Amino acid sequence: MDASSCARDAAALADRVLGALRGSGGVGLADFLASRADPTAGLGAVRLVGADIFLPHVVLNRPLTAQDAEVVAASFEVFPQATEPVAPEQRVMAWHDWSTARLLATLTGDAAVAAPDDPAAVLGSVEKWARWSVAVAQLSSLAHPGATGPVVDAVAAQPQALCRGVLRAALRRDFVIASRLTRWVALTHAMGVRLPVNPVVLVDHVALRVGSEPRQLLDLAVARHLVGAP
Amino acid sequence: MTSLVHTAHDVAARALGWLHTNRDLGAFEDDAATTDLNDPEGAYKPLCELALASSLVLREGVAGTNEQRAARALVGFTWQQLREGDLLYERQLRHALLTDPLETYAHHARSGLRHEALEQTLVQCAVEDSMTELLPNRRLAVANAHRIVGIHRDDDFTAMLRQTWLGRIPQPWALDWYTAYYMTHTVFHVTDWGAKPGDLPPDVVEYLENWLPVWIDVWAEAGQWDLLGELLIVSACLPEPRCDLAEWELFASAQHADGLLPRDDRPVVDDTEQRYHDHKHTAVVATIAGTLAMSRLLGGQA
Repeated sequence: MDASSCARDAAALADRVLGALRGSGGVGLADFLASRADPTAGLGAVRLVGADIFLPHVVLNRPLTAQDAEVVAASFEVFPQATEPVAPEQRVMAWHDWSTARLLATLTGDAAVAAPDDPAAVLGSVEKWARWSVAVAQLSSLAHPGATGPVVDAVAAQPQALCRGVLRAALRRDFVIASRLTRWVALTHAMGVRLPVNPVVLVDHVALRVGSEPRQLLDLAVARHLVGAP
Repeated sequence: MTSLVHTAHDVAARALGWLHTNRDLGAFEDDAATTDLNDPEGAYKPLCELALASSLVLREGVAGTNEQRAARALVGFTWQQLREGDLLYERQLRHALLTDPLETYAHHARSGLRHEALEQTLVQCAVEDSMTELLPNRRLAVANAHRIVGIHRDDDFTAMLRQTWLGRIPQPWALDWYTAYYMTHTVFHVTDWGAKPGDLPPDVVEYLENWLPVWIDVWAEAGQWDLLGELLIVSACLPEPRCDLAEWELFASAQHADGLLPRDDRPVVDDTEQRYHDHKHTAVVATIAGTLAMSRLLGGQA
């Protein structure tokens, strides 16, 4: 498995999720995996897309098939979760994986999964809002409809820092970060938090500039759903 | 705070010293009477900006003795270049719709340098409402100049502010480099360069407090030192002034040993005249930014 094939597969999987959200049917994880030239890279893609693979189930209440649940479980066997994250990227992956495992447990009725550690350890100090917001962006798969948890609470408690981050990304023309943060802004809005930006206008602003990369389009699709925009 | 006061002081003192040392490079080439005033960017506008910075150093009164002396000398120099106001008077008399004589005069009037005939002309222009067809932030500039000179008008600053980009409270990403300058000048004129911070409406203050750190971060990263300096002035014009040591140290780090502060991150040429021409505005900005920050931190009038 090489990183580029894993990234390509992740884009293809995100595209499938996007299609499912738009009404094309299920994601079909088992079918996706079977279509990959390198199944290991396919499982890596499942882990990269993370909790977003469950968006059709979360948003449209589609049932998760046992076959698809097995694919996710297999991805955890092939790529075990970091048990004691130390480096910043390990902490990001730990929360990313936690979100995936937690939604899997919710959809399959399994026991709840323990959260990694204090969210401050992964997000850093909010005083350093620029760095903090980049960490928040890296955890965009945690921002889905109905999301709860320590990171969600930590982000929703800092609407100014969050919106500063998305403004910084938009002005720097970094629409990868901007689309991820827009998703958080939309979630925070959906939670009833007062924001210093208009989230609907933000979604439309980013949507015009984000390009065609499926994972960013997925971020914006989630954001649109969260703000109730068509 | 002490460290920030020192940093702001040093930036302002060095920039003002650089302007003073190089002031002759900003003089009219021969005789002001023959200067082409249709090219105000040439020598005319820089003289106005030199007078502005000097007038604010004198108004605030927080600079050291040497800086106060330099500021007094500089505003005297610009007044002399403008033939003690005659040049402004003749220009305003001939062109009643132009705003630059009024705006240039305001800085000198603030410094106690008055011209009676020009003031009579300005009063007549105000009665005729000749300086009207302007961009919203420029209308505020004219209103503030009238206020400084002491010409009474029924200008509604709050209503005029609401016509500007800033007063509309747009989404904060709907901003480009040019409009950022319009935004800074809106604050300068509404508050009369920090003298009236309470004249900014609360929603505008909240808006600026939310987004100034981001605008500063982004334009500092782009090496836009001139705009960064203007944003630091805005920060000092808020009712609760924002004076961030890290932002000030970044601004100070761009300043050269001789006091020159480059307008952006492009290379600075060696030619003395070109250096002055390219970077004089940023030195004016740095002088004002440092002066106002220092004054606010020390609890001055601004």
